[in-house]
Amino acid sequence: MTPAIEIRQLTRVYGSRRGIQDVNLAIPAGSLYGFLGPNGAGKTTTIRVLLGFLRATAGSARVLGLDCWRESERLKAEVGAIPGDLRLWGWLTGDSALRLFSRIRRRDLVRRGEWLAEVLELDLSVPVHKMSRGMRQKLGLILSMAHRPRVLILDEPTTALDPLMQDHLRRLLRDEARAGTTVFFSSHTLAEVEDLCERVAIVRQGRIIADDTLATLKAQAGHDVEVLWPADVEPPDPARAPAGLKLSFATREKWTGKFSGALSELMSFLAAHPIADVRVARPDLETLFMQYYRDEPEQNGGRP
Amino acid sequence: MSEANNTAASAGAPPELPPAPLPFLLNLGLVQRALREIFWVTVTLSLLLGSVSGLLAWAMPRIQDRMLRRNRVPGFVRELRNSLLGIDNSMGASPADLGIAIAWSHPIIIALIAAHSIIVCTRILAAEVERGTVDVLLALPVSRLRLFLSETFAWFMSAVLLFAGMYAGTFVGSRFVAENLRPDFVNLLVVLANLVLVYTCIGMIAMVGAVVWDRRVRAVLAAIIITVLSVLVNFLHTLDDSLEFTKQFRFLSILDYYRPIDALMSGNWPWRNLSVLAGVTLGLWIIAAAWLSRRDVTTT
Repeated sequence: MTPAIEIRQLTRVYGSRRGIQDVNLAIPAGSLYGFLGPNGAGKTTTIRVLLGFLRATAGSARVLGLDCWRESERLKAEVGAIPGDLRLWGWLTGDSALRLFSRIRRRDLVRRGEWLAEVLELDLSVPVHKMSRGMRQKLGLILSMAHRPRVLILDEPTTALDPLMQDHLRRLLRDEARAGTTVFFSSHTLAEVEDLCERVAIVRQGRIIADDTLATLKAQAGHDVEVLWPADVEPPDPARAPAGLKLSFATREKWTGKFSGALSELMSFLAAHPIADVRVARPDLETLFMQYYRDEPEQNGGRP
Repeated sequence: MSEANNTAASAGAPPELPPAPLPFLLNLGLVQRALREIFWVTVTLSLLLGSVSGLLAWAMPRIQDRMLRRNRVPGFVRELRNSLLGIDNSMGASPADLGIAIAWSHPIIIALIAAHSIIVCTRILAAEVERGTVDVLLALPVSRLRLFLSETFAWFMSAVLLFAGMYAGTFVGSRFVAENLRPDFVNLLVVLANLVLVYTCIGMIAMVGAVVWDRRVRAVLAAIIITVLSVLVNFLHTLDDSLEFTKQFRFLSILDYYRPIDALMSGNWPWRNLSVLAGVTLGLWIIAAAWLSRRDVTTT
């Protein structure tokens, strides 16, 4: 099955400045896909190539099988997008925007737009120049979703939305994905990606350094391990610890480190020694993310 | 069958993508958007242009009449007037033709029409990039060529209002002078066509600037500088005898292709001048459209 979004060896440079390099992504239709990275990592550049704003320096980008540069007009009929820094024409109101966009898209967006406005609690009669940033963001979301796009490309869409609205939006996006819409969701807010997306790609300095399901990424990241040794017992020699246990801190009282491998192996080792306390936990996305960003790609090939 | 399969079955195969639309068609929504954006500037400048041209149509023929009656036109003024009107000899022209020709070449009139064309034509793309609205505009399912066509169409529609205001202003102003000081309004239509092409040339210079640069002020400055230099070339030789050689460069001046007095006197269509101005307009439009279609757009 053709992926809804397919990016192959995509490179985009701005003169001497880095944009993105050798990006590969294949996003299945109907999925909620998180695109994670700090500011300046290359998220917006990737989105701009997908929307046909920028031409790729090398490689290709296709949405719904259509080339993002050459067939941009056709593909955008099926795509809804919201830019990272949304600006709308000040003279529009929500109502007039829906009518105008209906005419431009040659589809009636008014009914669904009004329904979306109800969900997102936006008064459509307010002119844009009198709207708060959050209200403008809501209107942008309504305009990007009102034509029932098959692909939604959202660049940090929850910016300026209050937590309640962020929750409404997440529910809305889940419903859209259930109905078959592919949601490509860029963010640097880890919690919302963890809460919403089934799969994430992490971009750093223009390169994809991880692209998998959240569960797999967490599994690859191993377990955080903390062992407290009883004060009256000599702890084992760290050199005899299981091969998968990489200790970052080891004293007579406490070991801290990361374990990757079969947990039973770790449990057997611990069971053979008296321990005061133990904590074994999967890292949350934030820890995972920080790990990816802390480690230099040259040292570990991009894996934590 | 699982719930997921049920959903997939009821949803069926994804719908086919719509066929590619024909490239040379306007998007009426974009035309409406552009008209909304330029409405007030067009109405304001149209009223201003109508008022100024009305005032000049009332005053200029009477001034020319007085000067011709007294047969006292200083050489320098005659030279300047001839340059302004694009002729070397205005002998035989009636005060009405001379007056209206001067009125329709008056620096205020040229400045007003240039202001409108520059304001309107620097919106795409520079003003949209500066305002940050270009991201929303280009995310719409409209090719850049269609966007450019729609913007150009809206601009031409606004020009109709602008020049209707000017023509109406002249008509009203002429009602307040003696009948022999009124121009031939059919011949004035020929001048109007010529002036419209001067206007489109200035607008196209601005449009090229606005698609090449992301900063509107650069596009505006470029259009103003080119227009002023182009107009200045027409007058340099009148300033001093040592600048007589600049006459050979008058073909570079927009005003060299705008000769209202000839059209007012004879009613003949100045096909050569119209062709040059139309050719420059079309050439610059093609350059701007091609540049816009191929350039990268980024707001950051």
